[in-house]
Amino acid sequence: MITTPAISTDRLGKRYGSAWALRDCTLAVPAGSVTALVGPNGAGKTTLLQLVVGLGRATAGSVEVFGCDPQRDAGAVLPRVGFVAQEHPLYSGFTVAEMLKVGRKLNPGWDDAFALQRVQELSLPLGGKIGKLSGGQQAQVALTLALAKRPELLVLDEPVASLDPLARREFLSSLMEAVTETGVTIVLSSHILADLERVCDHLVILSRARTQLAGPIDEIVAEHRLLTGPRADVAEIARRHEVVTARHSERQTSLLVRSNGHVYDASWELHEVDLEEIVLAYLAQNRAEDPTLAMSA
Amino acid sequence: MIWVSWRRQRTEALIAAAVLLALAAFLVPTGLHMASVYHHDGLSTCLGPAGGASCDDTIQSFTDRFSSLNNLIAWTTLLPGLLGVLLAAPFMLEFEHGTHRLAWTQSVTRGRWIAGKLGLAVACALVAALILTLLLTWWHAPLVRLNGRMDNGVYDSEGIVIFGYTLFALGLATAVGAVWRRGVPAIVAGFAAYFAVRLFVDTWLRQRLMPPLTATWHLMVPDPRALRHALVLDEYPADAHGHHVLIPANECGAGRALKRTPGLGDCFARHGYFMHAVYEPASRFWALQGIETALFAAGGGILLAFAAWWTYRRV
Repeated sequence: MITTPAISTDRLGKRYGSAWALRDCTLAVPAGSVTALVGPNGAGKTTLLQLVVGLGRATAGSVEVFGCDPQRDAGAVLPRVGFVAQEHPLYSGFTVAEMLKVGRKLNPGWDDAFALQRVQELSLPLGGKIGKLSGGQQAQVALTLALAKRPELLVLDEPVASLDPLARREFLSSLMEAVTETGVTIVLSSHILADLERVCDHLVILSRARTQLAGPIDEIVAEHRLLTGPRADVAEIARRHEVVTARHSERQTSLLVRSNGHVYDASWELHEVDLEEIVLAYLAQNRAEDPTLAMSA
Repeated sequence: MIWVSWRRQRTEALIAAAVLLALAAFLVPTGLHMASVYHHDGLSTCLGPAGGASCDDTIQSFTDRFSSLNNLIAWTTLLPGLLGVLLAAPFMLEFEHGTHRLAWTQSVTRGRWIAGKLGLAVACALVAALILTLLLTWWHAPLVRLNGRMDNGVYDSEGIVIFGYTLFALGLATAVGAVWRRGVPAIVAGFAAYFAVRLFVDTWLRQRLMPPLTATWHLMVPDPRALRHALVLDEYPADAHGHHVLIPANECGAGRALKRTPGLGDCFARHGYFMHAVYEPASRFWALQGIETALFAAGGGILLAFAAWWTYRRV
């Protein structure tokens, strides 16, 4: 069965002045997935997400959300997409109740009963001013606002970056609750991987304005292997498999490879790697390859 | 959309209301006092055909008595600008605080959001302008009946120009704020630009909107009827053809400063001098108001359209 992906981009690019914030980004986010968008600060995560929700205009390539252009067909796309922007902006002078009223007035699909119930469960004060709430509570209001819209796709830009560990945990678990209840497709960005591993099933690594890796997490983990062996030339391995990083010590070489089938060479010892190691390897790979990174970072 | 826009505009609208209320608290008692003095001194009969020579003195003393108050009220000419830029604040603050990212990702499209937000700001500005116009027109009424409404201090707060001024200030601050996206600097810059434009129009452009008229008359006869309540741009001794003449210092007791002494008319007649005036007649009040209001309102409209376009395309 072929279904329209929730998000698909084709050589998507965005330039601010002369600097590309995002370049040649081609990826597809399947409907029903929970996708983590990972990358260092300034990698283009925010730019990509803003293009997805129609806040920005692409300089090159195209982006489609449920098969529609989020800028040209904003009227069709917006009701289907929920967005929690970085630092979850809200009207700080409004009360929580007024903030919910904003959601009710601006969204035809608004589920008021759900919003009220959620606010009650989180014991958010309906009459309390947004500006007086804690960061965690504000993030929860923002999430409530996005969820009560009943979107098919929920996009969150660094939703937990500003939260303390406890609030972070609570936020993510309430997000997961929503996923199981509604089956909403989720894309969330973060530069903290540990949070995402628990909740996501797909991964996109973005670094230096480009996509480095994209796919289901279990496949990604299954494909990658750490090979260790006596110090050797990597050319032989690189012919068949993609070498992500190579580290050489005096006697030993260790390679992180994206394997293309089995590694038959008996001179290598094979190790499983976890997701965090893989992601760090991809991010480190870019740093090593590009001498300008030190300056742009 | 309307509720959200209104709720976002509420604080600024309340501040504007408070400013107008404070102004009313000052204008109403002083205005009532002025009106009662006007009736007490019998100035209304002075304006009729029965008005005698003593009326000139009565009118003069009334005008003098309230001139300092009138000069103080002339400062209200800053208010359309202040109210206009104040009401532009909610729009620019949306971008300064980044909350447009929240607003634009609800189900309402960007175009509708901009239209609703700016539409409400315009409506608030027009209401504020209406209240300001009514208050000031009522307050000025006795002075206008005596001296007309063509002088800058009164002209600026009569008729319909306040609507144009307020819209222009609103448009200016909104356009600066849309590009700059910093609330306070945009408000300050918007007001400064508004003030400069007003100064230019008041002191230079207004008298050139319609070519002024001229009159030459003999000082022995009363001033020409057309000069009554007119905006006199220039007035000087002239020959019979209206050409400026310099009166020697020893003639007619005049040096540079020409005083209207009782013997002046005779002296002028002896030497064959006339008076010459360049003026905008009072009958042009509505025509001038219409042109000026149209210019300011069109400017404000263009700036608002620019701000909307910029926000729609560039943000």
